[in-house]
Amino acid sequence: MKLQFKLALYNTLTKVAIIFFTGGVILISLEKISYHHISLRLEAKKNEFLRSLSTKRISQILEQHNSFTDYNILKDDYIMLKQVKYEHITTVVDTFSTAQRTIDKSTDTYRILTCKFNYYKRTYILEVGNTIDAVEDLKNTIKGFTLVILIFALSLTLISDLIFTKYLLKPFYNIIEHKLIRVNDPLNFDYQKVETSTQDFNLLDDSINSLMKKITDMFLLEKQFIANVSHELMTPISIISSRLENILLHEGLTEDAENKIFASLKTLIRLKSIINSLLLISQVENNQFNKNDIVKIPEVLAEINEELEDRLEDRNVTLNNTLQHKQLIIGNRSLMHTLLFNLINNAIKYNHQGGSITIIDKIVNEHYILQIIDTGVGMDNIQVEKAFTRFEKLDTDERESYGLGLAIVKSIAAFHKIDIKVTSEKDKGTIISLQFNDRQ
Amino acid sequence: MNVLIVEDEKSLALELDEYLSHEGFTVEHARTRKSAEEKIFVNNYDFILLDLGLPDGDGFELLKMFKQLKERDDAVIILTARAAVDDRVRGLEEGADDYLPKPFSLNELLARMHAITRRKHKLESNEITVKGFKINIQNRTVSFGTERINLTRKEFEILNYLVLNKNRVISRTNLTEHVWGDVLEINSDSNFVDVHVKNLRKKLAQHAPTDWFETVRSIGYRINI
Repeated sequence: MKLQFKLALYNTLTKVAIIFFTGGVILISLEKISYHHISLRLEAKKNEFLRSLSTKRISQILEQHNSFTDYNILKDDYIMLKQVKYEHITTVVDTFSTAQRTIDKSTDTYRILTCKFNYYKRTYILEVGNTIDAVEDLKNTIKGFTLVILIFALSLTLISDLIFTKYLLKPFYNIIEHKLIRVNDPLNFDYQKVETSTQDFNLLDDSINSLMKKITDMFLLEKQFIANVSHELMTPISIISSRLENILLHEGLTEDAENKIFASLKTLIRLKSIINSLLLISQVENNQFNKNDIVKIPEVLAEINEELEDRLEDRNVTLNNTLQHKQLIIGNRSLMHTLLFNLINNAIKYNHQGGSITIIDKIVNEHYILQIIDTGVGMDNIQVEKAFTRFEKLDTDERESYGLGLAIVKSIAAFHKIDIKVTSEKDKGTIISLQFNDRQ
Repeated sequence: MNVLIVEDEKSLALELDEYLSHEGFTVEHARTRKSAEEKIFVNNYDFILLDLGLPDGDGFELLKMFKQLKERDDAVIILTARAAVDDRVRGLEEGADDYLPKPFSLNELLARMHAITRRKHKLESNEITVKGFKINIQNRTVSFGTERINLTRKEFEILNYLVLNKNRVISRTNLTEHVWGDVLEINSDSNFVDVHVKNLRKKLAQHAPTDWFETVRSIGYRINI
């Protein structure tokens, strides 16, 4: 969930809680206060009644019946007197209760004061009641009012919260969008400060900018380093190599010396190859290649086939090209060539005499997939895991390798957003799947 | 033929000088862009071997300046240790005749210089005769007497390179690099070139003995003329 919505949700929930709490407090205190007032009135009435009591009056009242009830015309309150079995009473105790009473065929809720008292050796029970309908009505009104206010306040605050947090967090989202999500090349980073008066966002913005600056510096440094390495290493190698070749011009060299010089030249070529491979990987990883060429996969494969014809022949390996699609890819042509060349070259190098290599392609979920299947020596799981690591090579005596071919493949594939999957079985062969993820 | 080596690395310049002098070239040497400019203004050269990274400027600027001179057809070969991807393209676009990344083999440099010479002086014969075999560099064909010998592109390259570097042992790695180019990793199993040499020899031997085409121990090959 976005921060903006979380904040709005939190505000709304706290407001709901506050309104419910105050509503509840108001309702409870309202009940307490009104009950208190009614009780006072009931007590006053009772006292008034008791004061005005006389034997004559009671007997008068209870003459015909053994109970007496009186009420006002609106049945707002009533009074009831009843004679009960005699009991000894020292103090008159008032008890209050809320109950339903039916008076003159209509039932209402009353606040009731009940007390027993003795009068001339007789015990009477007195009930004075006052309707609390008014209070209930008020409570209902308040409840309804609270609900309306709640809904109104909620929608209002929700909207205002959303608008305000949107305004408040806009710079934050700007920072995320422009400085984090859309950045894929540190060299083209936009250092323009995001406008905001919020100190924290300023801090965030500055931190990201300075981090980016550091990354860019490192990036440039690495670029510089690559250039330096190539120059500073290649020049001395060049000098040694020329010097050795000149020594070979001298007549009278012993056969042994000549052999050693040729071996040294071979080692120099190896050194050069390793440096060139590492430089290539660094350059690919530093995005120093453009990728705007339209690369026709079948065309590249045909070229490679031609270049490797003699190797195939030498090892008696057949290459079956069963491409179905004339796939075009936007990328760097020479890098794609190197990638496929290295893979097919490996498929030949690690194949059995008389083996085969099959190239198939298919489109799965709108992704172009190219598979190179060989019947070679295969790899176990541990070897597969290590295959793309620099300087890692299959342990074979006869095949010389610098262990950089697949490392180059890996960096070129990453540069073109190609996923590589390797399925291999020892002594059965290897399947290399390339899934092209860039929309073509 | 005279050559100007524009190279700030003294030891490399000396090695180039030694090799080319041995090959019969007259060699001059400039270590800075300024001194190179002065020499180029004064003299005509058959070859200018140009390093790109000079202490007082970029080799490209020197190339640009040279290309503005009228009526000059000195061949320019760029020799550089630069790794930048587009330098090669730029070098050729700006009028260099060839581009050789360091480190390079001196034999390779010589072969390229010969190729340029042939290209520039069309009057010179494009045919070299070796023990009765006529090698036509223009059409890339080989014939014996009137009979044409069908060679593959790689077989022709091997023969041509060995003939250019005649009487000198050419190692397998050197030969592989020349024929297959600077393909990464491919140099690792250079015995591979043997297959082609074997086929080439077989084709030549059908017409005449090839004892002049010598295999040198474990190193490589030599054509003795």
